[in-house]
Amino acid sequence: MAKELAKRGNMNDRMEIVLNKFKSRLTSYPPGMCPLVMYRSILQMSMNQSCGKCIPCRDGLVEADRMLGAILEGEGTSDTLKKLEELCVMITKTADCAVGVVAANTVLDSLHEFADEYESHIKNRRCVENVIQTVPCLTLCPAHVDVPGYVALIHEHDYAGAINTIRKKNPFPTACAYVCEHPCEKRCRRSIVDQPINIRGLKKYAVDQIPADQVDTPTRNVDTGKTVGIVGGGPSGLTAAYFLTMMGHKVVVYDEHEKLGGMLRYGIPEYRLPKDKLDEDINAILKSGDIEVHLNTKVGRDISVKELREKYDALYLGLGAQIGNRMPVENSDAENVIPAADFLQKIAAGEKMDLSGKDVVLIGGGNVSMDAARTAIRLNAKTVNVFTRKRDDYTALESEIESAKEEGVIFRTLLNFLHFEESVEDENKIAAVWLQPQIVGEFDSMGFVTTEHSSAYPYRFKCDLLILGVGQRCDVADFEKEGIPVERGRILADETCSVKFAEEGSDTETAIKESKGIFSGGDCVTGPSTAINAIAAGQVAAYNIDEYLGYHHIVDYDVQTPFAMPNKCIPTGRAEIEERDPFERRKDFEHVEVPMTPEEADRESGRCLRCDHFGCGDMRGGRD
Amino acid sequence: MMSVIINDKKYDVDGNKTVLEVCRENNIYIPTLCYLKDVSEIGACRLCMVEIEGYSRFLAACKTMIKDGMVIKTDSDTLKAYRREMLELILSNHNTECMSCPKNGACSLQRLCNEFGVDGTDYKGSRKDIEDKLPKLKDNPYLLYDPSKCIHCQRCVGACGMAAGNGTLKNARTGVFHIVDAPFGSDWKETDCESCGNCAAACPTGALVLKRRQNYREWETKKVLTTCPHCATGCQYYLVVKDNKIVDVEAADGPSNHGLLCVKGRSGSYDFVSSEERIKHPMIKNKETGAFEEVSWEKAIKYTADKFMELKAQYGGDSLAGFACSRSANEDVYMVQKMVRTCFGSNNTDNCARVCHSATVAGLAKTLGSGAMTNPIYDITHDVDCILLVGSNPEEAHPVVGMQIRQAVKHRKTRLIVVDPRDIGLTKYADIHLKLRPGTNVAFANGMMNVIINEGLTDNEFIEKYTEDFEKIKELVKDYTPEKVGEICHVDPDMLVEAARMYAKAPKAPIIYCLGVTEHSTGTEGVMTMSNLALLTGKLGRSGCGVNPLRGQNNVQGACDMGALPTDYPGYQKVDNPQVREKFEKAWGIKLNDKPGLKATDVFPAAIHGEIKGLYICGEDPVVSDPDTTHIIKALESLEFFVVQDLFMTKTARYADVILPAISYAEKEGTFTNTERRVQRIRKAVTVDGEMRSDIDIIIDLMNAMGYPQKPMTSAEVMDEIASVTPSFAGISHKRLDDGETLQWPCTSKEHPGTYIMHANGPVRGKALFYPAEYVPSNELPDDEYPFILTTGRILYHYNAGAMTTRSKGLMDIAGEGFIEVNYNDAKRLGIENGEKIQVSSRRGTITATARVGRKVSEGETWMPFHFEDSPVNVLTNAALDEFARIPEYKVCAVNISKL
Repeated sequence: MAKELAKRGNMNDRMEIVLNKFKSRLTSYPPGMCPLVMYRSILQMSMNQSCGKCIPCRDGLVEADRMLGAILEGEGTSDTLKKLEELCVMITKTADCAVGVVAANTVLDSLHEFADEYESHIKNRRCVENVIQTVPCLTLCPAHVDVPGYVALIHEHDYAGAINTIRKKNPFPTACAYVCEHPCEKRCRRSIVDQPINIRGLKKYAVDQIPADQVDTPTRNVDTGKTVGIVGGGPSGLTAAYFLTMMGHKVVVYDEHEKLGGMLRYGIPEYRLPKDKLDEDINAILKSGDIEVHLNTKVGRDISVKELREKYDALYLGLGAQIGNRMPVENSDAENVIPAADFLQKIAAGEKMDLSGKDVVLIGGGNVSMDAARTAIRLNAKTVNVFTRKRDDYTALESEIESAKEEGVIFRTLLNFLHFEESVEDENKIAAVWLQPQIVGEFDSMGFVTTEHSSAYPYRFKCDLLILGVGQRCDVADFEKEGIPVERGRILADETCSVKFAEEGSDTETAIKESKGIFSGGDCVTGPSTAINAIAAGQVAAYNIDEYLGYHHIVDYDVQTPFAMPNKCIPTGRAEIEERDPFERRKDFEHVEVPMTPEEADRESGRCLRCDHFGCGDMRGGRD
Repeated sequence: MMSVIINDKKYDVDGNKTVLEVCRENNIYIPTLCYLKDVSEIGACRLCMVEIEGYSRFLAACKTMIKDGMVIKTDSDTLKAYRREMLELILSNHNTECMSCPKNGACSLQRLCNEFGVDGTDYKGSRKDIEDKLPKLKDNPYLLYDPSKCIHCQRCVGACGMAAGNGTLKNARTGVFHIVDAPFGSDWKETDCESCGNCAAACPTGALVLKRRQNYREWETKKVLTTCPHCATGCQYYLVVKDNKIVDVEAADGPSNHGLLCVKGRSGSYDFVSSEERIKHPMIKNKETGAFEEVSWEKAIKYTADKFMELKAQYGGDSLAGFACSRSANEDVYMVQKMVRTCFGSNNTDNCARVCHSATVAGLAKTLGSGAMTNPIYDITHDVDCILLVGSNPEEAHPVVGMQIRQAVKHRKTRLIVVDPRDIGLTKYADIHLKLRPGTNVAFANGMMNVIINEGLTDNEFIEKYTEDFEKIKELVKDYTPEKVGEICHVDPDMLVEAARMYAKAPKAPIIYCLGVTEHSTGTEGVMTMSNLALLTGKLGRSGCGVNPLRGQNNVQGACDMGALPTDYPGYQKVDNPQVREKFEKAWGIKLNDKPGLKATDVFPAAIHGEIKGLYICGEDPVVSDPDTTHIIKALESLEFFVVQDLFMTKTARYADVILPAISYAEKEGTFTNTERRVQRIRKAVTVDGEMRSDIDIIIDLMNAMGYPQKPMTSAEVMDEIASVTPSFAGISHKRLDDGETLQWPCTSKEHPGTYIMHANGPVRGKALFYPAEYVPSNELPDDEYPFILTTGRILYHYNAGAMTTRSKGLMDIAGEGFIEVNYNDAKRLGIENGEKIQVSSRRGTITATARVGRKVSEGETWMPFHFEDSPVNVLTNAALDEFARIPEYKVCAVNISKL
């Protein structure tokens, strides 16, 4: 028989385009969806994938879809649910290939994961979270910044307006422009057309055009005569300070460092967030109202919590999580072993360190590790190796890993640390780390892959400096002593940022009322997280402190969002932010990013679909 | 100005408008379905889509802003076809049983389908199945939601959230479909729904309707534009009449209500008209049996006139008194006072403003020169920076004003300072709530002024130019430090200071106040301190500012304007002014009494003392509405002759010797003057069976029978007479109003457009007066025996003595029994449970009421509504009177509460 290669441009090839369209629809699934509807979509996709050979998959999945449909259409009963489960179990046991088995299993998963949602549809014919679709960027930003609003203002070259629009929810427009992880971009509707808007990039363009401290903050309320004490001058504490002062309260901030900014100053390296840019945000916040600052003052050591409680009408604890963890391994406290957070803090505080000729090893794949690795490169290290046990451990932003690679950081995975070898010359130091190769195994219940030792032998890796990027914790001991509830090194506070004195399961109002006037949020409550999460907590806490004090102050902003016209939706590339030449940038601590050009900013902001105006955005509740 | 081309024609238009607005202004037709101005502008139905050059998509005209140079086409074959498609798609999911649909004939979908020739659809529809299965929500007494007819246009959601400012009706979701979460299911009583029905008014189809719509079809009705007879907001609406019976109420776009209505206006303003309990014939009480006996009008008139004239002959005219009612029309009130002055020969005429806002009339006249609300409702709720709301619960007492305040605070970023002893609904959105102790308003205001003066926040230029006696105020308030005031008022001094700064610094800030300020033994001084505050900060005579009493009853402003006051002829012309008197003597052709008369609250004690022998009451019910019921009854029993003219056998009427049956606002012509000084028409909508007659006709007969030659007059002619003797009404006539003008007095000539904002060219008084008032504690303070303060007030669902609202079944379903609000700590101490019937007693009597336990009132304080027969709170209240206005202290008396 004659044979031939697949024809070029055959149907399968042409289908690739469709598949891409499929993917873009998937990535842009908006918030406020019904999980059962999504599951039904998966089930219907699975039905499409059925080859039509075996009966359970070919016909069983169709019946499952019908039942799921009935439940969604308000016809389902608990019998339907039972039948659906039985049917799916049958399919998992009888289908010929994975297409049917996995499809049925997916439905079975949904029965467990979303039992409440099924029950709600059967009993009330509606969704548990009875909410409508919302604007993706606005909802997914933890601080709910009005993204379409400021992108539109940038398009009209009103950068001050853009900055004040951001400030409605977040007084750190500059810091976030430089370092935000931009969850707002995750499900940007523009993905349907091409790619998400470069929201962070545009924000950076705005604050690069006009420094934030040259844009007046809106008029604050008259003085209320109340004073709120804030422990911690990081993103969360200063955000709370900003909103509280806008409401007319006096704010007194305590910070143990020499300068304000918390982890934005002491955790994020200069090349990512130049300190003079950070100062622009901080200056604007300090100028916005009545904020008194006490630096070099550690609460617990220099002044007690009790004293603060007596002095102020309410307290906000935004301590952050600044103590780098060490590993429970021998020699982990050796002189040349340092947690990444401590390492970064030293450099940020101005300590000179020269790593010329040194082999640096990093454990951990998070953003802090990337910052430490790229900092080590800039300190002239001979080699920088990042080791992780598995690929999942690279939790850093992809772009960070990419940049680190370009700058010469070496990444190795599937290696487990066995022990740190003591130096022969100096018993206070280690000379090498011992690594055990791993192989991957099954996924665990959380969906992470597990590893086990490979049959390959462990090996020794020379190391002059070991940086531990294995998490940070909060310094809560003094607070615990003074009666603040603490659990596993974190302050116990709820979603209202009220410290948990109220009974478990109390409603919002009670939780706030019974907080004893103590609120807390950010890393010291959640564990190490992003700046924007800390900012969101500061904002929520400020409003709830105001409630606690018996007010409902509004914070007024006078920015008019430009009117929207429909976008022409011509597929256009996303204007990425490029970084300077890696061989140049690795030699200094200058900011790494290349500014957007005006043409880029114009084009990029012009891609916004204005979901605040079109679609769900102008429905009531669509922008919540 | 920008220039656009619409349908090939060039137009010069203003910016900041939508394409739809521009087209409508230029009479270019664009069909709309989901659009409702300021309520729903979201482009859901796509019927308003137009073609705009440069855009491949058709754009919704309702939400596309006009831009310079736009080239627009509003109609084309494609647009027509697509609009038709939209209608067919809507129909595919719509229950089209139009025959049985209450909106048949009034349905926008039906109208548009007819217009576009759509008589059905080939589409199968996707939502029908589920919407048929979602239950109709119909447990609310008035409202019903039928999902099968819902087109998901969002108008109801917008009406509730944006217009009514409530937000109980929400968007929700079932799987892929959007649904409307209407609060009319079995848990309707637990929701925040106010049953105002603005959602039903917004619904373009039969999905969300008032249940009563089922009783009529659009084409069977006529609509009569009139004014709501409840509070003084003066909402405009149509009475919908079928076969001489009022079957519904439909909001009109009036200047004070802008298409909004509250539950009372929409559902509690007409059942009483056709009530079986109406008095249908004149009646005279048989002295022997005590029973009323029906008599002819001739007999009733003659008997009444003779009796009054006998008493006059025997004891003199000053022994007779006649009260008009602040619920009656201006023309009726005018005739009552004219009768009292010309026939009785006394000035003993008054109206129930005496017990609500007489303090306002007296206080503001003294300080500003005019005792009325200075700025209109729209002006003080749209585009203002801060509202200072004192002793007013507009969400319940003036709901349509409340809705507009909610809009301002929730959607227009207006700051709100609430000064009220209770956690009224608006405190949820207030920047500051000063939960002060009842009866301490004067101290509060003096404290505010202390801060304003000390912090240099006064408007010195204004004070210099337009006021006098500033030094006296400066001296007085020195002692009212925030700390001291904090102690008197039980408020946080910081909050007082902040409130003072917030109010003083706000560029536009109105003071809105109500009975919480007036109904005290120091009510007039309370009012004057409000005006002091405005004067101090120069917030008078300007848009968005002023001193704004929300008058209580529909025509309480008018009743005072019309001279139903013992000291004033119509238009506040003083009876002791010889020139004025001469003018009226000439106009009325009779010698008039120059002695100011007795105020209503003084008439009752005078009756007990034998100084008043004969009393004529037109439409009031003092046994229910005046304080210290026992004392009122004693006064009525002391009278030699007592006549009541009313619709119903009220508690007061039972004590009468003669009852003259009158007709309601829906059966006659006339005008009401709302709180904004706006004179608005009421119009005859129906005739009710029986011998009842209009007040004017009855009074004219009485006057003639008493010997005063009064020629017959229509209501319009009475208004012309009013205009001829009242300078501030000189330009007002039924004709001008019927021709579509809206007039606020002063309106001094036929050409005068009326006065939107008072004192705009400087205070009416010339120089406004600062009146220094020291804080004086309330007359009766709690003690060991009666340790609680009792305050009384209105609730949303009822109106005053309840003659109208208690005859609406739905309102009684929603709120049908009296209650007392008790603080949770007090309740705990006394072992009182929420919902328990308890005993409430004062020095004057004892009643029972259901306890509502919570945090709404402070410890040591209680609150009761005065509408309910089962808990007649005025048995308890104290008839302590204000020195100037003789207004009683409803807001503070001492009571004790205990378990039964």
